[in-house]
Amino acid sequence: MGRMRGLEIPLTQTQKIRLQRALQKLESLSSKANSNASVTVADSIPVNYDDGFLKGHGTSELNGEVIATVCGVVERVNKLVYVRTLRARYKPEVGDIVVGRVIEVAPKRWRIDINFSQDAVLMLSSMNLPDGIQRRRTAVDELNMRSIFEENDVVCAEVRGFHHDGLQLQARSQKYGKLERGQLLSIPPYLVKRRKQHFHYIEEYGIDLILGCNGFIWVGEHAEPKDDMVIDEQANKSDQILKPSKYSMTLEEQERAYTPLETRQNVCRTANAIRVLSTLGFSVTIEIIMDTVTMSMSLKEIHEMLGSEFCVLVAEREAERRSSAKKKG
Amino acid sequence: MEIDRIDGRSPNQLRPLACSRGILNRAHGSASWSQGFPRDTKVLAAVYGPKAGTKKNENPERACIEVIWKPKTGQSGKQEKEYEMILKRTLQSICILTINPNTTTSIIIQVVQDDGSLLPCAINAACAALVDAGIPLKHLAVSICCCLASSGYVILDPTKQEEEGMKAFAYLVFPNSIKLILPEGSSHAQGERMEDGIVTSVTHGAMSVEDYFHCLDRGRAATAKLSDFLRRNLQPQVLADGSKAG
Repeated sequence: MGRMRGLEIPLTQTQKIRLQRALQKLESLSSKANSNASVTVADSIPVNYDDGFLKGHGTSELNGEVIATVCGVVERVNKLVYVRTLRARYKPEVGDIVVGRVIEVAPKRWRIDINFSQDAVLMLSSMNLPDGIQRRRTAVDELNMRSIFEENDVVCAEVRGFHHDGLQLQARSQKYGKLERGQLLSIPPYLVKRRKQHFHYIEEYGIDLILGCNGFIWVGEHAEPKDDMVIDEQANKSDQILKPSKYSMTLEEQERAYTPLETRQNVCRTANAIRVLSTLGFSVTIEIIMDTVTMSMSLKEIHEMLGSEFCVLVAEREAERRSSAKKKG
Repeated sequence: MEIDRIDGRSPNQLRPLACSRGILNRAHGSASWSQGFPRDTKVLAAVYGPKAGTKKNENPERACIEVIWKPKTGQSGKQEKEYEMILKRTLQSICILTINPNTTTSIIIQVVQDDGSLLPCAINAACAALVDAGIPLKHLAVSICCCLASSGYVILDPTKQEEEGMKAFAYLVFPNSIKLILPEGSSHAQGERMEDGIVTSVTHGAMSVEDYFHCLDRGRAATAKLSDFLRRNLQPQVLADGSKAG
């Protein structure tokens, strides 16, 4: 029985060999000689001293030698040499798209858990009101905060900045806000690279995919961005009942809320694909997710995706893809 | 004269070591270090920081390190305060304090089990936790406990029973040596050794000067094994992340 690199999936002997081979192939592809060497503290970094170079984070000079002050991987960008730590805690930057869960409803704000060392704050004023009008938030709005978000709701927002009481988020556009009818997944944050597009709508499956930079990923049924004009009808109703009760929905609301079985299966497939990729430690991008989902269509049962055979297949497929990409480029 | 140790170890033999990092979710860095099996000394260390602001009497041009020691049972007393102070001085000498001035890094030590050689175990755990948090260090520190028996014999890494029967003992902290990363195919055989130094030494009981130097030598020899273990543990696993190649 083989357990590889912290994977909790028991592998048979042949699967273990195949997986090892695929991973070794990947490692040999990625590290070019010794320039991507991993260092521990007080290791000397091999630098060509004749060319000018700049010392970056995680390095310092001792006796004319460049030594590492943290444990990590040496990175070189033009003349900059720095050490990147591997176990990176999510470090928020302004403008990051993050997905989080509401922990608390506080006066004029919501506290959101985003896998960071402190909770993020979403101010009531940074959130669009349900009726869409831009106006000053009154005390009535403050009392109705629960009708917008409650505890344990999943929310998508953007990082606005660091202020005195912590990390602040904003959700001013229609694509941010409450996320419903889907799954929230948690993966190590360094597997999600910052790209131009974090919102993906996969038409053939009818699902929405949001890759949060903090390692939280949302996979759910596609939700059309609500049009502000249509909200008027709902706002009239909400004057009478402040909070629509979850248990007393009308028949037509229940029909609208029903997700077809096919879409639900696709959501599960995508979620399992992301789980497998994160267990193997591959960085998660939309292309690799779609490739894995297409590959999984050949499996009978969706839960087989979490088994050992599929895991090995994904690793081998990735090794193939990278080696063919290298041959081309 | 040979001493028979209760668990059958030789005088220079250390207990089996185990170290795991990244166990606490909310802390910036965390590590657990245990020595011995099955009855062991286990310490959990968590690092939070750097946070803004230093304490009142501290120099604002340097980073400040704050240590909180939590005993297994009971309230914190004088013994815990002493441990905190020793740990603080030791960690101040291995961290590079000028990188983040006017910040505080908090290190919290929780004793899970105590079976002898507690302070060295805590120092090792704190060092591993600092590495896990990505805080820049000058070098790694490894620490060991040397005891002097009434017969004049020196033994390393005692259990609690052995410790109580000893004439004197010393906790020693040594810096870790620098190694060069060898380029492939290089003819360079050995890395350079950093000058042998000692970071911290805490002694209890009465011992003669020669005995003390004897302890130092034995301790230094044993730290080679400890440093190897620590380095191997800290060697980051290079993930199959091809974004650099592509």
